[in-house]
Amino acid sequence: MTQPFSVIALLVVCLATVLVAVHGLRLSRTTSDFYVASRTVRPWWNASAIGGEYLSAASFLGVAGLIVVSGQSGLWFPIGYTAGYLMLLLFVAAPLRRSQAYTLPDFAQIRFASVPLRKITTYLVVLICLLYIVPQMHGASLTLTVATGLPDWAGPLLVATVVCLTVVSGGMRSVTFVQAFQYWLKLAALVVPTIFLLTRLIPGNDPALRVQQLGERLGGGGSMGLYETISIIIALLFGTLGLPHVLVRFYTNPTGQAARSTTVIVLGLLSFFYIWPVALGILGRLFTPDLGQTGNADATVLLLPGTILEGLAADLLTSVVVGGAFAAFLSTTSGLVVSLAGAVSQEFFAGTVRGFKISTVLATTAPLLVAGLTSSLALAGAIGNVFAFTASTICPLLLLGIWWRQLTSIGAIAGMLTGAISCALSLLVSGLLTGSDSFWVALIRQPAAWSVPLAFLVTILVSLATAKRVPRNVERILARLHVPERSDLHD
Amino acid sequence: MSRQPTDPFAIQRPRRVRVQAPDDATFPIPSGSPEHSADAFYVRQLIRSQLRLAVSVASGIIVLLVGITVLLSFWPAITEMALFSIPLPWWILGVGVYPLIIMAGVLYNLSAVRNERRYRSIAR
Repeated sequence: MTQPFSVIALLVVCLATVLVAVHGLRLSRTTSDFYVASRTVRPWWNASAIGGEYLSAASFLGVAGLIVVSGQSGLWFPIGYTAGYLMLLLFVAAPLRRSQAYTLPDFAQIRFASVPLRKITTYLVVLICLLYIVPQMHGASLTLTVATGLPDWAGPLLVATVVCLTVVSGGMRSVTFVQAFQYWLKLAALVVPTIFLLTRLIPGNDPALRVQQLGERLGGGGSMGLYETISIIIALLFGTLGLPHVLVRFYTNPTGQAARSTTVIVLGLLSFFYIWPVALGILGRLFTPDLGQTGNADATVLLLPGTILEGLAADLLTSVVVGGAFAAFLSTTSGLVVSLAGAVSQEFFAGTVRGFKISTVLATTAPLLVAGLTSSLALAGAIGNVFAFTASTICPLLLLGIWWRQLTSIGAIAGMLTGAISCALSLLVSGLLTGSDSFWVALIRQPAAWSVPLAFLVTILVSLATAKRVPRNVERILARLHVPERSDLHD
Repeated sequence: MSRQPTDPFAIQRPRRVRVQAPDDATFPIPSGSPEHSADAFYVRQLIRSQLRLAVSVASGIIVLLVGITVLLSFWPAITEMALFSIPLPWWILGVGVYPLIIMAGVLYNLSAVRNERRYRSIAR
């Protein structure tokens, strides 16, 4: 079934994205423009852009899908995605901005002047970005197949092409415009259908029956155990503050205090956004509960309008959701591609504009190939695993690097490797163990609750054992991270 | 003698500065005259007060979230309670937690600025 409206919505979103990007092109010339928009972006713009970048396939499709599959437990994901920004605000936002680093490897460089640490951080950033882009590609594949019946490689190809064009043409400056625009687009694409569906349902036939159904379908708690829930909370809280594409946004704030204000606005924008996928997930539990069994629950948001309504209204609303979903894939992927290309071009092309463009092409084609070779997991779960990995690797480096004098580069490397290996191994092994519900399987399936503390512990112990390697300029660097800029005190 | 530039304002116009990505190990590490020991002391004080603030807000939120998880897991009867026929846990997790997160962020922001003001007024 090919739906003309959905195809039109898709084309409009893609074209608008490219147009906004090209509009930004005229302003973007130097390397600094390419990486971080010359740090001249206002808090509201920046907050919208962060929201636009962060709300990925997992948020737009995955949250509702997870609520359909696992009920009440699914609600923890949006809470974790939001509370992660609180952690970012508390521990990272202002100091990272004041460090004047462009990227995570830059931060490692500034703090320790250690080439091995820089390289390991770069490789981890590259890995995290790849792991994060692949689910976006799977989301695009699912959306395009459900909406238009096109084969499953078409969606990822479209996303890769548009992202490559926008990033190569404008870099970060235009990406900021694109992202800010896409936050509001995504919000509208969920708010309009949700309100429309609710207004059609409330006066609908036999409200008493519906209300009774609602109680039944939402009852019975969630499907995740206590340990798994706590582990996911830890992964999401501490994973957010290590996401490379989120961190790179903080350099576009003019001062440390502006970075904090931006983050508070982001908390508001995310909280307001997540009302809608949760509401759609509840509607999904009422009207499309079968999707939970077929393994296609991530399509809930896309299929709801067609299930509840008929004719033109259903087609129009479906096309709105399809457009919003594509905005989600495009914005998150372009943010990740900027970070990935930034890291690759700094490492292998000496940070030139041409190197950045070559890296961008590489950064879009590699995940496209990986997505083609792997099968799709549940979106929210796949992204949850990336958070667990980030929390076990980047988080100890950042938190201890910003707040702890005694951290050494060897301690940081040991901690990151421990976290990376233990988390990655247990996630790989958990792929082989299916079906069983014992505590040990849960321990391997959701490693964050033990792998994050383990990484911290190793970092701290090795740092204490190599205390002679503490950088001599540590006092000055910490002062630079924490002392407010002069201009901050006037507002 | 070189000729005057044809554009009389060319000198006054700010030069466009090209910012290049730094090469390895050449970041501008803070340097200059060694800091006074008094100033270093105040910086340590500032970092300590900011860390204390951040840790207390973070542990508040973590205790809250883990507390809710434990509550829901050991008191399943709470699911029987409903508001507008939607069970209570759905209200708590779907709506109730978010204002608390935003409030924690706003309060932290105010206190962090206050810490920095205090540092500035003492250190200068």
